[in-house]
Amino acid sequence: MTIDVTPVETPTRPHLISMPEPNRDNGPQLGQLVPKAEIKDLRFYYGGYEALKGINLTLHDKRVTAFIGPSGCGKSTLLRILNRIYQLYPDQRATGQVLVDGQDILDPKQDLNLLRARIGMVFQKPTPFPMSIYDNIAFGIRLYERLGPRQLDERVEGALRRAALWDEVKDKLRESGLSLSGGQQQRLCIARAVAVKPEILLLDEPASALDPISTQRIEELISELKSDYCIAIVTHNMQQAARSSDYTAFMYLGQLIEFDSTENIFTHPRERQTEDYITGRFG
Amino acid sequence: MVSEHIIKSYDQELQRLDNIISEMGGLSESQLAAAIEAVAKRDSELAARVVKGDARVDELEREVESLVVRLLALRQPMARDLRQIIAGLKISSDLERIADYASNVAKRAIALNQTPPVKPVSGIPRMGRLGSGMIKDVLDAFVERDAEKALSVWLRDEEMDDLYTSLFRELLTYMIEDPRNITSCAHLLFMAKNLERIGDHATNIAETLYFLVHGTPLAQVRPKRDRTSLALAPDTTAEEPDGDEA
Repeated sequence: MTIDVTPVETPTRPHLISMPEPNRDNGPQLGQLVPKAEIKDLRFYYGGYEALKGINLTLHDKRVTAFIGPSGCGKSTLLRILNRIYQLYPDQRATGQVLVDGQDILDPKQDLNLLRARIGMVFQKPTPFPMSIYDNIAFGIRLYERLGPRQLDERVEGALRRAALWDEVKDKLRESGLSLSGGQQQRLCIARAVAVKPEILLLDEPASALDPISTQRIEELISELKSDYCIAIVTHNMQQAARSSDYTAFMYLGQLIEFDSTENIFTHPRERQTEDYITGRFG
Repeated sequence: MVSEHIIKSYDQELQRLDNIISEMGGLSESQLAAAIEAVAKRDSELAARVVKGDARVDELEREVESLVVRLLALRQPMARDLRQIIAGLKISSDLERIADYASNVAKRAIALNQTPPVKPVSGIPRMGRLGSGMIKDVLDAFVERDAEKALSVWLRDEEMDDLYTSLFRELLTYMIEDPRNITSCAHLLFMAKNLERIGDHATNIAETLYFLVHGTPLAQVRPKRDRTSLALAPDTTAEEPDGDEA
């Protein structure tokens, strides 16, 4: 009898652009992978400081991509580029390409208001407007669309339902958004972001200031929302990245060290630096 | 080898897990060696000590279990740490089985000593030495995280199966020759089966270790050479490997 004793080689995982479908036994497969945002050789400068050093990465539609890495690694910077929030500040510039549905959003001719309607963002601290709960949601819709009162009511209700907040606020829509608890305020911000029907949702540490129950509500919300959106989430909580994302990108010092399915990243990452970081060995 | 965790107590707990496994491994190995010596030298007192010594291995397995549950609940291990903890749990259960089999051999040694000596007793020490060697090497491989060494243990199980098959046939012959041999040969047969199972558990440990080191399972078909289930009479030569009964 001949025996093949060659050790099984780790299957080479396709890198970056062509990603394997994440193998998740605990959920239904969501069909075909569609690239939504293709980031190509993206560099970013705060004045003379190069904060991102040539990032190549694809965000897929109807998938959640988590960005992890130590403070200052550039993950929030990357998110801020995707809706060009950085342009509010002088001295900050980006080079390279970010193709959303094939169109470069870094193009100076890009209409920023339109871009920010397509790409919604939620920040670490809840940022409700100092107005009623209803108007917090309606404000953004009114900027982009003209709707009759009934249609507007429907849209506001729809957005609040989408953010799993409707039942808690339906009887006090005229009260100030600031009267809500932290977790509710954050869900209000998510409702506000989804009200204008964006295509990409950027979440920068959306649950870091919340208690565990509110955090789980947000995570549940993320898994609900991903059936409609391409979601990118920055988090310092690795368990959160592991629980709520399909893909995970590990960044360090402005570079993308490893990008793979979340399962691979957290069970057997390829790179030593990734392994050290996720196992708490980063010195 | 691997750099340290930021949280030192986490390193200490993982090290403790490794230490208990090593202690269990050392005990299983010495239990097996003593059981074999008890058979070879017809030493019932030694055999009784082996039977008694099994309790310590069981105790260590329970320690591993509670440590693993604690690590999983409190540390949320990832990647290599997670694999180490899962591997620790699996290996401890294999080692516990190995010690059980050693204890079974010892129990049968006591029974065997009540009957007159039979010739094929020499096959048992050979299998025992092989088993001890496999346990020792797979534990060295565990301490050194050496997947290649584990693989060599994995392949050695073939030899164990061969020894078992030939001893099985030999014992059948003795029983056919003289029915008065049946009692002692039946005990020897069960001993041989226990030793063969020890080889299988050492092989399991090698597979677990391979997974611990590489993060992927050892996905090969291991050669199966235990053909005793096909043997009807001593002169039957079975060419086909059997299923995965053993």
